Amino acid sequence: MSKPLRRVVLVEDHDLFRAGVRAGLEATVEVVGEAASVADAVPLIKELDPDVVLLDVHLPDGGGQAVIVQVAPERPGVKFLALSVSDAAEDVIGVIRAGARGYVTKAISGGELTEAVHRIADGDAVFSPRLAGFVLDAFRSGDTASTDPELDQLTAREREVLQLIARGYRYKEIAGRLHLSARTVESHVSSVLRKLQLSSRHEITRWAAERRLI
Amino acid sequence: MNAGPLRLPVALPRVSRTERDRVVAGICAGVGEALAVDPTLVRLTFGFLAFASGAGIVAYLGAWALLPAPGAATPPRGRRIAGTVLLAWSAILALRGLGLADSLVWPLALVAAGVAVGTGAASLGLGVRRAQAVALVLLVAGVVLFVSQNTSGRASTFVAPGAVAVALLLVVGPWAWRLTRERDAEHAERVRTEERADLAARVHDSVLQTLTLIQKDPGDARRLARRQERELRAWLYPDREPTAEGTLAGAVESAAAEIEELHGVRVEVVRTGDAPLDERTQALVLAAREAMGNAARHAGVEEVSVFLDAGDAGISVYVRDRGAGFDPNAVAADRRGVAESVRGRMERVGGTARIVSAPGEGTEVELKLS
Repeated sequence: MSKPLRRVVLVEDHDLFRAGVRAGLEATVEVVGEAASVADAVPLIKELDPDVVLLDVHLPDGGGQAVIVQVAPERPGVKFLALSVSDAAEDVIGVIRAGARGYVTKAISGGELTEAVHRIADGDAVFSPRLAGFVLDAFRSGDTASTDPELDQLTAREREVLQLIARGYRYKEIAGRLHLSARTVESHVSSVLRKLQLSSRHEITRWAAERRLI
Repeated sequence: MNAGPLRLPVALPRVSRTERDRVVAGICAGVGEALAVDPTLVRLTFGFLAFASGAGIVAYLGAWALLPAPGAATPPRGRRIAGTVLLAWSAILALRGLGLADSLVWPLALVAAGVAVGTGAASLGLGVRRAQAVALVLLVAGVVLFVSQNTSGRASTFVAPGAVAVALLLVVGPWAWRLTRERDAEHAERVRTEERADLAARVHDSVLQTLTLIQKDPGDARRLARRQERELRAWLYPDREPTAEGTLAGAVESAAAEIEELHGVRVEVVRTGDAPLDERTQALVLAAREAMGNAARHAGVEEVSVFLDAGDAGISVYVRDRGAGFDPNAVAADRRGVAESVRGRMERVGGTARIVSAPGEGTEVELKLS
């Protein structure tokens, strides 16, 4: 199955790291533009209208969130994948709640990053094992601010999928283990992402409130 | 100690005459604007003071002379001095008009003038030292006058020391206040300097040392860089990467760090929840460590994933690699021994160990305590 060529804008303030990402990405992903700051990134993304933006969480003049907030209303088709060296929960939660479709750490290999770009471009969500662990923590039983239990809890199946991601399994492997189609696994992950963005659970809203994101 | 100009400890609002709401010269409206009160109230105050021997009228004239016209800079020095004198005169008139005795009003006027000269030296165009000298003379004169005028009665013997104290407070107060603020600023600066020194020392001891080591022996770069990364993370995000001994999560993280050190592979730990360390969880950590070591030695991979899930239902640890894998039913005796030692540790504390593997499929070791 051949993959369509995906156009990507890379927003990252570290030159060496940008070069590394460019070199690591496979041929099915084309880097059409690069920016090192929020101020440069916003007009560039609006102009190029790429499929996916690879976005550093920490930028000198704001952060990944600032880029998403300024671009998303005008370019709803552009999808964001957050990249960071930080595993701090507030970074993860902040950028996901701002609208990123996934979060991976910078230690990710070029091949995995390429795969993640395709997945994001297809409208799916990308969770690193660490993000999965964090989400499980945040949705641990008890302590609901519950106005909407639908959003504030994970289903047993979603929990199972997240645990497997945390254990280091890939989507295809998870599908095999749970006797599901890969499509179904992806829809579970997307549903978790939606809950993460919209839930009013204490653990999540607290971080969001501290960062003045809501 | 440096003798800077004395300043009033509070920032006075900037008052100027205004065009808006103006009736005569825009003074009441200007004062009202600066103090954020209804100008009518200011007008009433001036009107009321006019009955105190005409103090309100004198005050109005003084303010007219002193306050800058709308949009203009400060008026010339002559006008400022005239305005100040008029305002002072109006204050004296007002106090007398309101029924205060001369023996109180004049000393008060002198003291007030002293304070005004001392704190307003710059705007009156006087040198700092001269202003301080003039202020001191005025204050002393005021206190002496007050004491001499009030020593006939009995009550005055109590008032006199009070008057001196008030005068001293007026002189020393603003200066002491400023001194305290400067000391606070110095303290904050010292704390910042110490923090910077601490940061420099840490970077030197850790990052710079590691970079030097890597330049000497590039072959070891990966292991050194990874160790450095761990240390730096533990320092930057102390709550995310617990190196705290005494908890299960902390012990699993340290075990992972040891395996990384020994074998030069990445061991990525993801965790949800935590539990205290006791005999059983310690056995769990040792079993997990052994599983990590096996993966690092035999799987032929660069990364091993560890997932710790400590919840109400029990504690699980998963150690997974995507390496060579093996057929659990047909392993060599030594490998079986390793598997048994993982299993044995778990079973002795009432837990379970399950090993899932197939050639080419990687290996996962699942350890559970309920």
